[in-house]
Amino acid sequence: MNAVIEVKDLVKEYMIAKKGRGLRGSIRSLLMPKKTKVCAVDGISFSIAAGEIVGYIGPNGAGKSTTIKMLTGILHPTSGSVRVCGISPQEDRKAVVGKLGVVFGQRTQLYWDLRLGESFELLRRIYQIDKAAYEASLAVLSDVLKLDEFIDTPVRQLSLGQRMRGDLAAAMLHEPSVLFLDEPTIGLDADAKHAIRGFIKEMNRERGLTVILTTHDLDDVEQLCSRLVVVNHGRVVEDGPIDAIIAKLTPHRLLVAELERPCEDLDLDHPAATIVRQEGLKVWYQFEKSRITAAELIADLSGKLPIRDLSVKEPDIEDAIREVYKTT
Amino acid sequence: MIATLRHYLSVASCFARLAVQRQLEYPLFLVSWLLMIPTSYFTGIWMLRVIVERFQPLGGWDFPELTFLYGLGLISHGILVVFFINTWSIDRKVINGEFDRLLLRPMNVFFQLVASYVNFIGLIDCIPGIVIFAYGCYLTGFEWTAAAIAKLILVLLGGVLIRAALFIALGSIAFWTKRNGAVVGFAVITLERTTMYPLSLYPYALQSLLTFLIPIGFISFYPAAEFLGLDDGGLELPLSFALWTPAVGIVSFFLAHGLFRLGMRKYESAGS
Repeated sequence: MNAVIEVKDLVKEYMIAKKGRGLRGSIRSLLMPKKTKVCAVDGISFSIAAGEIVGYIGPNGAGKSTTIKMLTGILHPTSGSVRVCGISPQEDRKAVVGKLGVVFGQRTQLYWDLRLGESFELLRRIYQIDKAAYEASLAVLSDVLKLDEFIDTPVRQLSLGQRMRGDLAAAMLHEPSVLFLDEPTIGLDADAKHAIRGFIKEMNRERGLTVILTTHDLDDVEQLCSRLVVVNHGRVVEDGPIDAIIAKLTPHRLLVAELERPCEDLDLDHPAATIVRQEGLKVWYQFEKSRITAAELIADLSGKLPIRDLSVKEPDIEDAIREVYKTT
Repeated sequence: MIATLRHYLSVASCFARLAVQRQLEYPLFLVSWLLMIPTSYFTGIWMLRVIVERFQPLGGWDFPELTFLYGLGLISHGILVVFFINTWSIDRKVINGEFDRLLLRPMNVFFQLVASYVNFIGLIDCIPGIVIFAYGCYLTGFEWTAAAIAKLILVLLGGVLIRAALFIALGSIAFWTKRNGAVVGFAVITLERTTMYPLSLYPYALQSLLTFLIPIGFISFYPAAEFLGLDDGGLELPLSFALWTPAVGIVSFFLAHGLFRLGMRKYESAGS
């Protein structure tokens, strides 16, 4: 395996001043400051191979952004090591960041007052892209992101979706080998999200781009990522293929049965399934894939109950994630 | 080496062009500065004239010498405002995590900070500076010899570096305190009071402070005293001040830059 990113025992601690209550507390913490150590990242290790799209997810304050900032050389870790393309961003920042593209969904790197194209020209010079390579790169990006429609519009007049497309293009102009996306679809409408996801997939397929994505939008994760790294309280709690994580965390499926008539006199129970909810004529059965198949359960139930309608609900990534956050 | 230099020059010129374009987006803003800044400084020098003529010379400095000093101080202020305006907002940038983006680009962070905004509106600050200085030269009979011009350039350069160093050092404190302290506003006012009026007005302790600890006196006061052959009434120092100013400028700029680099290591970004 050809690892593009290798993170080993990464730790980032902050000192946080603890303040007492009221004026008395303020004065006390002025004279005798009580500082407590907070571990934003508490011993994280993983490695990412070239061409992977990895979802890096976790609840707010789990240490996602802090990790990304250490991977990109913005922050220095308290301990542990980071290697990006074999180089430590802390030791040789300039060499590493030349190979990275970084998009922060909530912060643009484009010049607010100027037409989009001006920001690109600046980046061309910063990354020392020669004219021909720049034109070629821009042509590809324009084609996928439809930049032509708004490349001459001042950034302040762009819609959020257009601005995000512009930011993505800006991060990709120098053809980085790794792309970091921090909540790239935040606040976007369905169309814009679709366009952004399409672009990421395309770049991954065409250029073998490695992508690390943090997001709270689980549709992003489901449609883009083959692998998930889930963090909570500064630690990795799950790391693996999405399907495996879902199967491991939520082995249950749901069968929703709607009866033809009220069920007071009926025996609803089934030995291999538990009733988790009952409302009017509807009954929710939870069952485990490994114990009974949906077909068997349906056959058993319809044998003894007057059933009008049935549906089977697969557990999704959302359930799995909720499960992770709950248990850690 | 040459390739690196060419790279940085190419980026700097692009930064400058974009800065001009951004400023041209708001023409009315420009006009209001064009009205306010010269008015402020011309009334300032006029007040000085009234004071000196009604009462007495300030610390041995009469109106022609005061004009010379005021103009000299104002020109170096103007140059600073054009090329180093971003050093005024280091504290804000630290607190808002605005260094993140600069750190993500394969270039020196300090270069990006300074070069990313060339403030052409600041040229407006230079207009009253040049006018007042020229008038001061005329009144004092300043001789425009080649040596004097060379000295003047060195003094201006040094003066700008001292000012920049002061703002860089002040702003870098925010790397440790994580507070936005409005210190910059105070520094601007203090600089105005200490570079456009004779330092000899102030008590001895303050003069020493402004000479040795915060070398503001070298920006305009000591050079002006030497140019005009005045017994400055201030502290006695050996050597020519025209040489002291650039030397002090380079040293303090170097120190301030070191402090900034030290601070960058403590940089903690912001939020998520």
